[in-house]
Amino acid sequence: MTVAHVDPALDARQARFHALVLPHLDRLLGFAKRRTNATGDAEDAVQDACLRAWSAFAELRDESRVRSWLFRILRTVLSDAFEKEGRRRQLVSITRLEDAHEALVGSDADFVFTEVVARIDREVLRKALSDLPDDFATAVELHDIDGFKYHEIADITEVPIGTVMSRISRGRRLLAGAIVLNRAAWPLGVGDAAQSAVLKSTGNRTRK
Amino acid sequence: MRGDPTAHPHSLDATIDEATREERHQRLAMMLAAYADQELPAETVSQIDAHLLGCTRCRRELLSHRAIAQRLETEPLSRAPAALLARVTTTIAAAPIVQMPADRSRAEHHTVPFSGRYVRALATLSAIALVTVFAWTIRAPSTTPIPSIISTVPLPSVALFSAVLADYRRVTALDLPGRARDLAAVRAALPFSVQPLSSEQLSLLAAWTTVLDGEPAAVLAYRWNDQLLLHYVVSEQLLFRPSEVRRAFAAGHPMAVTDGAQTVLTWPSRESGEFLVGEATAAELVRFRRSPAPH
Repeated sequence: MTVAHVDPALDARQARFHALVLPHLDRLLGFAKRRTNATGDAEDAVQDACLRAWSAFAELRDESRVRSWLFRILRTVLSDAFEKEGRRRQLVSITRLEDAHEALVGSDADFVFTEVVARIDREVLRKALSDLPDDFATAVELHDIDGFKYHEIADITEVPIGTVMSRISRGRRLLAGAIVLNRAAWPLGVGDAAQSAVLKSTGNRTRK
Repeated sequence: MRGDPTAHPHSLDATIDEATREERHQRLAMMLAAYADQELPAETVSQIDAHLLGCTRCRRELLSHRAIAQRLETEPLSRAPAALLARVTTTIAAAPIVQMPADRSRAEHHTVPFSGRYVRALATLSAIALVTVFAWTIRAPSTTPIPSIISTVPLPSVALFSAVLADYRRVTALDLPGRARDLAAVRAALPFSVQPLSSEQLSLLAAWTTVLDGEPAAVLAYRWNDQLLLHYVVSEQLLFRPSEVRRAFAAGHPMAVTDGAQTVLTWPSRESGEFLVGEATAAELVRFRRSPAPH
């Protein structure tokens, strides 16, 4: 590590950093919040990521890729934090989620599921996402919430694009399974008869 | 069997054996997410289009992918609070430019530990300290006389003092402390000894590095009652460069300059030079001076 001397270009560097990085704070914070259990931890992670980005700002050659560059840094910060603190989520059994998904797509009530998902509230969705293994949830969120393309997610998560494709596919399946398993939180007003059809078709296979 | 070959009895699926069809079904089903997301090449899209015609299960799964993607897309954006924006801009402004990979290895991370929670706590303490400093500036000036042992000089006469005071003002004009790093990391980054002041009246808030007169220096921030004091540690080569400083030290005096309500006190230590800066008189600051280096 070397400490560079402050030079006259520092102000310009800071201005460029602010212009490129600060507009993405909202998205970075949203991603960090979904990966941590507390808003304070998420804000700390974003701040740490910004500081690392500042330290490595010279590495950013292509400004059009700043968003994925920042997410990659934030993901590293979050990984470090999780490993350091030994935090592990209490995951629902993947087999249970897969079984629930199998039952869902094997039933005749897919139109009900579409309606349920469209109306499900934020907290239920957050809980369902938290039931997924982090790699799957990260890939799904980066695409569906943060709007990254598959090749960008491959860059952020440092895996081949085929792995991204697989993670998003499997992640959405598991998420569907988690939503089915969390049926007690489904919004009221979904057609009762149709909802019953889904419950009937998934109930026996998912209750263990 | 996953498909529904009776719907299209003359399709390709109907002509191949069950195992091959199942393998093909599984392979294409795994691509349904990418198909929904328009991430596949046209040739693969055509294959899936054909498969969907005869596979009810894949049509359902495709609906499931689309429903989830559409729901997640509507998730409201988290708004970063103004306080977070301020924390980031302040810490960047005060951070030294330290070149390291953004996704540095875990080993490097342990070498320069950094805790965001620590910084947040420091920022809060700093805010309290700075508010108090502001209160200090509007109170009546102290009339405590400067002890005769202190050599005082006008500020402009020694460039190094001006540099210290300018850095102090730059830092304290913002939220303290910029990039907080622990003392071990600061020590590791500098080629001279950095020892914190020891006084029951002082509590160390943060440590970081800066540049004075073109050379690296350590900065330690202390809370003193409800005030903030900054302690700069520089190399002895830098400290002994000005002739005024050498003369004062040769006479056995610490040295101080005052500018308005702010005072800079300096003294030599065993392997380095030290400055203590704050909104206080020289007499108040001199009590925190480390014992003079043995000759």
